[in-house]
Amino acid sequence: MAEYDLSKTIIPYLDRHLAFPLLAHLVETSLFPVNHVQAAQYELAKGTNMVDYAVSLFEQLHPDEEIPDEFSGKRERAVSTNERLQQEAQALLDVIENPDVAQALRQDKNQNLQYLKEKYDLTLDQITALYNFGQFQYTYGNYSGAADYLYHFRVLSTDNDLNTSAHWGKLACDILTGKWETALEELNTLRDVVDSRSPSSLLASSTESASLNQLHSRTWIVHWSLFVYFNHPQGRTLLLETFLSPTYLNTIQTSCPWVLRYIATAAILSRKSAASITNASSRVRHSIREIVKVIQTEEYQYQDPITSFLKELYVEFDFEAAQRELTLAERVVADDFFLGEFREEFLDNARYLISEAYCRIHQRIDIGDLSERLNLSRDEGEKWIVNLIRETRMGAEAKIDLEKNVIEIHRSPLPVYQSVIEKTRGLAFRTQALGTGMLQPHQATQQNQSQPVEGAR
Amino acid sequence: MSRFLRTAGSDSSSSESESDSDEDESDMSAGGPEAKKKGRFLRSDSEDEDTDDEDVKHVVKSTKDKRVEEIEATGKVMDNALKINDWVVISAEFDKLLRLVQRQSNAAEPIPPFFLKTLSSLENSLNAALAKEKEAKKKMNAVNARALNSMKQKVKKSTKEYEKEVHQYQADPEALEREFALHSQPAEAAVVKTKKVKRAAESGSEDEDPVTDDHFTTVGKGGKAMQFTADAIFKTLKLVHDARGKKNTDRGEQMRILEKLLEVAATPYQCIRVLLALVSSRFDYNSSLTSYMPIDFWLAAEREVDQLISIVARDSAYSVQENTEDYDELLERSLDTEPDGVVRIRGSIISFVDRLDDEFTKSLQNIDPHGTEYIDRLKDEKVLYRTICRAQAFYESSQQQEPLARVIMRRLEHIYSKPDAVVNALESSLSSSEVSPSVTLASSSTTSGLVHALCIYLYKADNSLLRTRAILSHIYHHALHNDFHTARDMLLMSHLQESIHSADVTTQILYNRTVVQLGLCAFRCGLIKEAQATLQDIFTTQRVKELLAQGVHQQRFQAQLTPEQERAERARQLPFHVHINTELLEAAFLVSSMLVEIPLLASIDSEEQKRKVISKPFRRLLDFADRQVFTGPPESTRDHIMQASKALQDGEWEKCRDLIQSIKIWSLMPEVVSVKEMLAKRIQEQGLRTYLFTYAPYYTTLSLSLLSQTFSLPLRTVTSMISKMIWNEELSASLDQSTGVVVFHRIELSRPQQLAQVIADKINNMVEQNEKGLDIKLGGISGWGDRGDAKGEKRGEQTQERRGRGDRTRGGLRGGTRGRGSRFAQGLGNQMAGQSSQRAR
Repeated sequence: MAEYDLSKTIIPYLDRHLAFPLLAHLVETSLFPVNHVQAAQYELAKGTNMVDYAVSLFEQLHPDEEIPDEFSGKRERAVSTNERLQQEAQALLDVIENPDVAQALRQDKNQNLQYLKEKYDLTLDQITALYNFGQFQYTYGNYSGAADYLYHFRVLSTDNDLNTSAHWGKLACDILTGKWETALEELNTLRDVVDSRSPSSLLASSTESASLNQLHSRTWIVHWSLFVYFNHPQGRTLLLETFLSPTYLNTIQTSCPWVLRYIATAAILSRKSAASITNASSRVRHSIREIVKVIQTEEYQYQDPITSFLKELYVEFDFEAAQRELTLAERVVADDFFLGEFREEFLDNARYLISEAYCRIHQRIDIGDLSERLNLSRDEGEKWIVNLIRETRMGAEAKIDLEKNVIEIHRSPLPVYQSVIEKTRGLAFRTQALGTGMLQPHQATQQNQSQPVEGAR
Repeated sequence: MSRFLRTAGSDSSSSESESDSDEDESDMSAGGPEAKKKGRFLRSDSEDEDTDDEDVKHVVKSTKDKRVEEIEATGKVMDNALKINDWVVISAEFDKLLRLVQRQSNAAEPIPPFFLKTLSSLENSLNAALAKEKEAKKKMNAVNARALNSMKQKVKKSTKEYEKEVHQYQADPEALEREFALHSQPAEAAVVKTKKVKRAAESGSEDEDPVTDDHFTTVGKGGKAMQFTADAIFKTLKLVHDARGKKNTDRGEQMRILEKLLEVAATPYQCIRVLLALVSSRFDYNSSLTSYMPIDFWLAAEREVDQLISIVARDSAYSVQENTEDYDELLERSLDTEPDGVVRIRGSIISFVDRLDDEFTKSLQNIDPHGTEYIDRLKDEKVLYRTICRAQAFYESSQQQEPLARVIMRRLEHIYSKPDAVVNALESSLSSSEVSPSVTLASSSTTSGLVHALCIYLYKADNSLLRTRAILSHIYHHALHNDFHTARDMLLMSHLQESIHSADVTTQILYNRTVVQLGLCAFRCGLIKEAQATLQDIFTTQRVKELLAQGVHQQRFQAQLTPEQERAERARQLPFHVHINTELLEAAFLVSSMLVEIPLLASIDSEEQKRKVISKPFRRLLDFADRQVFTGPPESTRDHIMQASKALQDGEWEKCRDLIQSIKIWSLMPEVVSVKEMLAKRIQEQGLRTYLFTYAPYYTTLSLSLLSQTFSLPLRTVTSMISKMIWNEELSASLDQSTGVVVFHRIELSRPQQLAQVIADKINNMVEQNEKGLDIKLGGISGWGDRGDAKGEKRGEQTQERRGRGDRTRGGLRGGTRGRGSRFAQGLGNQMAGQSSQRAR
């Protein structure tokens, strides 16, 4: 199963600290030799300021050897840097913690700066010191502290580049501390920042590098957001909403087709929720159809058991192959860092998808055969099917004939008048809208003006 | 032959010697006829020179006198004509007079006072005549009046021209006449001296070669006499240079002179200068636009360009540039004379390389592609390729980015469309040459690697035209190597289809070639739908050959072309060996159309739906074949495909397969066997689909195993195909697993029901049309009213999708169909090259 492991492909798109959980997960799954993974962990930790962690890893790795001297030196340096940076930032921290100040701060950043400068004699350098301090906190693993500092920094600073950087830092902190709500908010604002950058930077001299930058940022967002989306309760739906939007779909297809695995899984997982939540957007409702289309086009670039499962099921309609792929996919899902928790749910939904497709195509189904398709024993299969019929509204159409051990499905074709009604639905409304549109050309032009901006995103 | 050459030869030699003796006098801007005249005179004199030296003087004198006499005679005629008021004669004579005087002044002789006198008197009488004319209108006939008027203009003009002299003359006629008389004396002496110098030179060389007197040696004498010193090289060079482009210059002669010069050139500087002149004079040899350069000259030029490059590459102290500071052409220059240690010479190697390549293409365009000559000529591509690579190596080492990009583009053009074997052959010649560019086949191991490396360089270049063409070549190369997905992604990501219509014609041709090759690639890979969609655009225009620059415009499609357009189009034609076989192309297109269209035809049952056509050209052919009363055995590719389509419609997939596989043109594809196998498989599948569509109404159940037997497909494939059709709601049926049959639930619609459906569709259409109309009227792209219902949402998504990459194969290629089709249709014929291409993103 190691060949389906994506850690190696994903890690280059993650922050050093974000890679730790992934590696820790790899230790658990034992896909790779443990000492290899530990060596990787150690190498990773060496580059950070988390000296103690690195030392403990080293001890695990080489129980007999002496701990290299460089660590003690490094620790001292880290401590001293920490103190220095803290002193630099302290002035500002004192001011901010003052409740009066918090009240006096306004929306306008420039005004705030002015205010702070006049009242407390704070300069831009000091604010930047806050950023440095936050960053340093992050490097030695104090994520919640770092999140705080970076948040304050962002409130005050006007420097765009540093602000974006602080955004990323804050997101990483939130992910690492597991505050998924805040992380989600952070992710959304960050996405806005990245997406909105295009119009302004289009004016800049080097358009190509700007769009390239944007592509990079989006690729990173896609990877980072996996943490959030697979942990937040609403995450899967949001993932589909985001990743299936044209810009991100393009990004994924261009630079990281392996993310298709996560979209596919999310689409399968969201099956039930999508059916139950009526207000989900059409994108989520038709996510499976969309993703199958994408999987088909990208087949030459990327495929794994999960995508092949969907392909076999919805493109080839080869239920045997789909079942084979499902067995594989189940293991892949179980081993995947992000998907591991959803194994049961995934299996459940995947089975549902299979039986749905199966029922739609067949008229008379042998229960034994269907159970086999679903990797279930005969009795289990029967139970499952009964549940299925009860859950969905197939009750009127499907009946189990226990004597012959078959399910009979009688689906009456859609009556003609129904389809005519379907076709003419909304025509009156559309015509009405047409009329209002004609009456208010001015308003329309205003809307037209706002439209392109939306489109540009 | 020799006589003609001799005339010309002695002409040039005499003018050389003349200029040698007297710098002032050698005014080379003298008109052609005069030079010739002089030449003839001088030659005749040199023939009898041996006997009588005095003769020279006499003859010279007589010409001078003759000229003056002539002028005077003309004046007399004019006087006579004036008396009878015949302005036509006056006008003619005056023209003659002007010419004579012009000649006189060209010979640096003063203007004869007689002319000035005539001019002023003419002015007077002209005024008088005009005054008279005004008084009595009927007096003159139309011709005469016109002549009078033109005379007025002419006189005014020449008076202005000779204003100073006329004034001088009017002030003091005597003095001027005296001066004129005086001046003629030294001039005569000078001429005599010229002759004597020439005499000396000739006698000097006659020692070496006293016998032959034919043209070649004559020149040799003249030339050689001056080539002994380095200084003289430049003088000769200058003379040759000056004579360049003149009407009566013998280009072959010039080349020979330069070749001789090259032999004696000693320093690199001299070599470079002579080579530069020699190569350009070789290219000059053929001035007409249509014919091509003689092949031996081309080869010589190729060698010389090689030589030039190797000299420049060897010695970095010399640099050939298009823009240099002015320098004295007649002086030898070396490192010491130059301030910064680099001798800069005016010239352009890259344009030589370009020209060499262009001439090669031109010759291939003109040679009959089915003869052996063509093959022989093609062999020269190897040397050309080597020269290009050599130039590339040179520019790489000297780090000149702009010409380097151009030369790399040339190299790329030679290899991008060739199969691996040919590229290997071309590249193998490189290993033997002493200088090799940074990127070779050896260094990049595969041809794709080589093309990739070359393209990468061009992508970084500033020149957007080169970038565009590089990416197109790259895509073409990928397509040629059956790498469909990469090629398609590159094409779509380049967004070229949006801007290609504003590119120059050659780039458009390259684009068309690339798209077509992509379609063929899809076909070879078995991606029938993609192949059909890609090739569709170009076939609907019905001008495939023209769009690929593989045949000229056909008259019936457009109004008459001007001769220039026709010539330009002819010049754009690609040489035969890079053609994409249009018959193969058509076969691929029609077969893929058949596979897409026939099941579709079978699936529709009402007349309304029949109008939805995917492939118009195919449908047209099919209708035509249907109307045929008798059909014979198939002959052409089209016949084969049409009969195969019919067989497929009837469910006889085996016959269809045999017909398709017996098409001979497939053998042109490198992967014949696999392509045929693929086609057989597709025909089986589509045959099954067609069969189901056609015969479903007549069955309630059909056994799956029977179907699998009939179409010799595995049961699993049959099941999966039927499942797919059921899932996509193409077929209203369901499978019965236990008995292994497919059950059809066909519902017969009553007439009113059917009509109700039709009218619902039509109402829908109408509303959509209305919305579109309003959109257009309001000028917005979408959304005049925020409807917010599902429809609006869907629509927004559609537009986004069109932009998106997700739906590329269908949305991307087919979505742009209409636009691109019209772009094809707007045609290359009436668009002349030279438009700047739009920047490709």
